Amino acid sequence: MIQHIENPVVEVHDLMVSYGQNPVLWNVDLSLPAGSLVGILGPNGAGKSTLIKAIMGLVEANSGYSKLFDQELNQVRNKVSYVPQRESVDWDFPASALDIVMMGTYHHLGLLKRPGKKEKELAMDCLDKVNMKNFAGRQISELSGGQQQRVFIARALAQQAELYFMDEPFAGVDMSTEKALIELFREMTAEGKTVIVVHHDIYSAGKYFDWLIMLNMHLVASGPTAEVLTEELLTKTYGGKLSTLADLGEIIKKSGFNPLKD
Amino acid sequence: MEDFLYFFSFQDPNVLMVVIGISLLSISAAMVGTFTFLDKKALVGDAISHAVLPGVCLAFMFSGNKNPYWIVSGAFFTGALSTYVISWVARYTKLKEDTVIASVLSIFFGVGIVLMTQLQQTGNASLSGLDHFIFGNAISIVREDLWVYGALATCIIVVLLVFYKEFKVMVFNRSFAESIGLPVKRLDFVFNSLMVLAVVTGIQAIGVVLMAALLITPAAAAKFWTDRLSRLLFLAVLFSLISGISGAYISFSLPHMPTGPWVVVVLSIIAFLSFFFSTKKGILTRWVSRRKYQSKIHRDHILKALYQAEEHDKKGLPQKDIVDNFPGKVVKTHRTLRQLKKKGYITNDRELVALTSTGNSEAKRIVRLHRLWELYMTEYMNIAPDHVHESAEKFEHIITPELERQLDKSLNFPKEDPHQSIIPRDQNKP
Repeated sequence: MIQHIENPVVEVHDLMVSYGQNPVLWNVDLSLPAGSLVGILGPNGAGKSTLIKAIMGLVEANSGYSKLFDQELNQVRNKVSYVPQRESVDWDFPASALDIVMMGTYHHLGLLKRPGKKEKELAMDCLDKVNMKNFAGRQISELSGGQQQRVFIARALAQQAELYFMDEPFAGVDMSTEKALIELFREMTAEGKTVIVVHHDIYSAGKYFDWLIMLNMHLVASGPTAEVLTEELLTKTYGGKLSTLADLGEIIKKSGFNPLKD
Repeated sequence: MEDFLYFFSFQDPNVLMVVIGISLLSISAAMVGTFTFLDKKALVGDAISHAVLPGVCLAFMFSGNKNPYWIVSGAFFTGALSTYVISWVARYTKLKEDTVIASVLSIFFGVGIVLMTQLQQTGNASLSGLDHFIFGNAISIVREDLWVYGALATCIIVVLLVFYKEFKVMVFNRSFAESIGLPVKRLDFVFNSLMVLAVVTGIQAIGVVLMAALLITPAAAAKFWTDRLSRLLFLAVLFSLISGISGAYISFSLPHMPTGPWVVVVLSIIAFLSFFFSTKKGILTRWVSRRKYQSKIHRDHILKALYQAEEHDKKGLPQKDIVDNFPGKVVKTHRTLRQLKKKGYITNDRELVALTSTGNSEAKRIVRLHRLWELYMTEYMNIAPDHVHESAEKFEHIITPELERQLDKSLNFPKEDPHQSIIPRDQNKP
């Protein structure tokens, strides 16, 4: 069940991505409505992170394209924010929580300009929104996993974007923080912003999200939560990979070159 | 002493020139090195500093003299080539990066040594001092060298300051940097070039191989003292300056001393001092706090023994019994008893050691933590009552007042531990 909409905020057209020789996403084609809280669901290795990385231009697509606000990514970068997985960075980096959140203001600043008082106030506000104001001066390696995650989200807030892609923002976060974050995302979508979250708990997904994308290397479903959260689609998503896709992937892997790359 | 005054009063313009040169190159190397270190590219820096040698030799072969322009170009060429080869091979083969770096390093350096031996056998008089490029000789810097190396170092410093925040984001979180539209590939290229340039600026004064130390060690030493990037940069620059200038001084005052090794010796001393004496993560600090913790454990155990004696309706324990209780720790026990007496926790008239009222409430606290933790383990972690003592022996020393309140709350202020011993509380404090 793949529902397309008019005037989407995100449009992905026939996107195909492989890592090296290994195809991870097959012909994903979807559109997402503005102002919604979107969950990306799927088992490990389903290509959830890859999908948002490909949309953000962080991994190269073999074919297909994506458009944000009906434009190329480069034209709307100021309106888009990306939250990488917490484990993707070395938290031993010499910086305070505030330093990291300030990074969210960098692309508005441009070259040569240093962040000043205005940026610092903005960063403090954002830390406050995720309940981390008291930890502003703390060295980031001394924060717990959940606190580090909140620092990342505060940094995204400091970007003052319209569209947010978050890669597993609830990993390592306790239940009450997760609830508070969902509350925050709800406030953001109520203001017309769009928040897209990689998630893997199907039980909470039903409660959290307006719209669900279900992935299992190919797109299983994309549509309003109430319509796509069905037994049948969940089985398709989580009930093992399509064996033909896996076999084809094996052949490509062994071929010594990648026929998908033209 | 005369040497010292002569050198540091800078009355000799040559000395001044050497100091300016070595300062600029120390600053630039430490700054580039800080980012190299944080980006975990220390090995690449090492490879580059070996790989500039064949470039230096080739420059000699072509120009026939020690013209700094040729030397710098040659060194830059092979240095840059090595980084390119490393990333190319690592990308297109299945070899792991450390393997590639180690091979590239030895191949380039090997070629360099072959070329150098070849050159030295020609017996060309203008080639004397070629080996300065291996160990460095700051004193041999002439005006023309200073212009070339100084200008390069200044360039590096300016570029790093201009792109400070860009490099900071890129090193910390590359994918985020890319997502906000930073040209990470071009910045990578700029940074790799800076790394090669930083090595190149040091070849005359420090020597090719030892430049790797000047890149990485200042940042590594500074990391022991701070956890902010700006301070890390500042300290790395400071350490590097100190060792650069003292290295130059030593090779000035002692005849025939190369500069590079002395710079590295001073730098290593700074690094070792940081390693041992840093207030944050130094070995000594950790050793001291471990010792403190161990004496706290011993103190806690004595207080506990006295409290348990009171529980059995004894007034106290004879000092001899206490000492016998901790075999092998006679001196330590005596010392701890003296400390406890000084703090007013116990009275001790040799016949009988007894708790004072402050000592009693401190002892109660420890016993309480022990028994609370035992109860918590049986209640919440389903551990049998006869298995909890060992763990409680350890945790009674570390549970903080906040954790104690938390335990009390989740256990609903219990009266007895799993072995039906009373959990002692101070009457006046709820």
